[in-house]
Amino acid sequence: MTALPEHSIIISPIGSYEPEFLKEIAESIKQIYGLHTEVTAILKNINFAMNKDRNQYHSTLILEKLAERVSSHTSKVLAITDVDLFIPILTYVYGEAQLGGISCIISTFRLNMETQHAASNRVISSRIVKEAIHELGHTFKLRHCPEKTCIMHYCRSINDVDRKSEQMCRHCRILLKDELKRRGAKVPK
Amino acid sequence: MTGTKILIVDDELIMRESLSAWLARDGHAVTTAQNGEEALEKIKQTRFDIFLVDIKMEGMSGLDVLKHIKEDDPEPAVVMITAFGSVPTAIEAMKNGAYDYLLKPFDPAELGVLIEKIIAHQAQARENLFLKEQIKETIRFESMIGQSNPMQNVFALIMDVAPTDSTVLITGETGTGKGLAAKAIHTNSPRCDGPFVIVNCGAIPEHLMESELFGHQKGAFTDAKETKKGRLELAHGGTLFLDEIGEISMRMQIDLLRVLEDRIFYRVGGTQPIEADFRVITATNRDLSDAIKKEAFREDLYYRLNVIEIQMPTLRERKEDIPLLAKHFLHRFSQDINKSIDQIDRGAMDEMMLYEWPGNVRELENAIERAVVVGKSRNVLPEDLPFYCKVDPDIPLSNSLKEIEKNHISRILKENDWNIAKSSKILDIDRSTLYSKIKKYNILKSN
Ligand SMILES: [Zn+2]
Ligand SMILES: [Zn+2]
Repeated sequence: MTALPEHSIIISPIGSYEPEFLKEIAESIKQIYGLHTEVTAILKNINFAMNKDRNQYHSTLILEKLAERVSSHTSKVLAITDVDLFIPILTYVYGEAQLGGISCIISTFRLNMETQHAASNRVISSRIVKEAIHELGHTFKLRHCPEKTCIMHYCRSINDVDRKSEQMCRHCRILLKDELKRRGAKVPK
Repeated sequence: MTGTKILIVDDELIMRESLSAWLARDGHAVTTAQNGEEALEKIKQTRFDIFLVDIKMEGMSGLDVLKHIKEDDPEPAVVMITAFGSVPTAIEAMKNGAYDYLLKPFDPAELGVLIEKIIAHQAQARENLFLKEQIKETIRFESMIGQSNPMQNVFALIMDVAPTDSTVLITGETGTGKGLAAKAIHTNSPRCDGPFVIVNCGAIPEHLMESELFGHQKGAFTDAKETKKGRLELAHGGTLFLDEIGEISMRMQIDLLRVLEDRIFYRVGGTQPIEADFRVITATNRDLSDAIKKEAFREDLYYRLNVIEIQMPTLRERKEDIPLLAKHFLHRFSQDINKSIDQIDRGAMDEMMLYEWPGNVRELENAIERAVVVGKSRNVLPEDLPFYCKVDPDIPLSNSLKEIEKNHISRILKENDWNIAKSSKILDIDRSTLYSKIKKYNILKSN
């Protein structure tokens, strides 16, 4: 983890994922954020975050551990897991991010769930990409966007996720640019 | 209007943290308190829109907190957070004015729906108020008055900038006449025959702002039955005055900046670019450089708006203008209601000269209006003034301004059963100022 350029985004799978699939996510992220991306597993296991009563994993604890492990303050890390995540006040979450912080996580657990129609692999991977870009957006200080097609829109259901695009709206793009500028990173066009 | 203000009251750290982080990502301004006492302390500083209160807490119970919040101000929504065993208490809380309750852990969608419902509810109320205020706004508008040095300087500056097309930022406390200054610039400019269009950014609910400014195309959203011109378009050939500019959301700041740069915009739902030629004047009582530091106001927009700054003096900085202003208002109001009150008693004038006028000229205007209504003689007497307090023969007479202010505040509070929202409205100061004065003077409820 020493040769990492400044302002990188690390994609950290927890568990085993197809390398092709991780590459696809990395590519989509790079397109939006214009930063160097890299796939590296930083956390071997997340047993420490397991809650026996709820049989779920407490995502905030995972975010803290991830942020500790990333030495560079200018980089971000996105973890991907297939276990069900929660925060204490809520029954479950699709993902969580440190607002303006270093780490975020998404869970594929509920994204695999079928809606009215059986979801194809294509649809499922699109959902994962959307959630990944969304949670990373929070680490760049972006908040939820009222624009329904914007990737920063908060989705209450899988149907909503399918409905939104893989892009940021004009407003969110400008706010992202501002934040990248503040951090001294190269700003994508 | 940057985000809904939410206060979470819960004695469990982990619940406070997870809930506040969740709501922050939604763009809300979240504050937390670990018990009822801390919550009551917090409402003295800030007016919250929504409270999320845990029912079971050490010390003051959730029900007590609810009671205090509602006493202080009945408007904000209070949502009770309950565990499985305390549902009956939650139902009791609903009878006592709670908006709803949530059983923890909540379903994320359920929380989202509830918060959204409350915000829509409050936006509707704000919209109604806004429509009412709009009517009032047009009635009160007249020339600026003042012979004092600070006002003479303002006049000189206005005459200097009026003929140019420069963007002007007018700063100053509430009630100092920022709107009048903007109007004066317009009237003395080459655009004086064009329209003078006012947008009160603090009064227009966020969800209406975009269509108010830019207009909308028929069918752009459910309520858009007709195509409507926005205020930018209406300001064509004249001046656009954006009052309380510090209150606009980040999104609107982005849109506004783009308009100022390109001079081109689109109606909501429209595809045709619209060009409008207007001069921009803005005003604020907020410290915008502080807002920039907190990333609540865009720096690039600030530099666009603040080409020339005019700072309006407070009334206490120009007390020599008080007699002139008071007589002017007296003349107007006595004519308005056809009552022959034409003099200000010497004692009343002394009281006015001693008073601090936190609400500035507007407060003076209101005071005179009230005096004309309640006055029983040809003269305005000290006791006709809202801040005057009768001297109790048992209390040694004090001439200090502080003493007068303390007595006045105590009286208003007592008259209004210590309802802070009501009292601060009557005193024409904000709640935090009132609270700090109560603390400073150690005014007690039992007095
Ligand atoms: Zn989110
Ligand atoms: Zn957006």
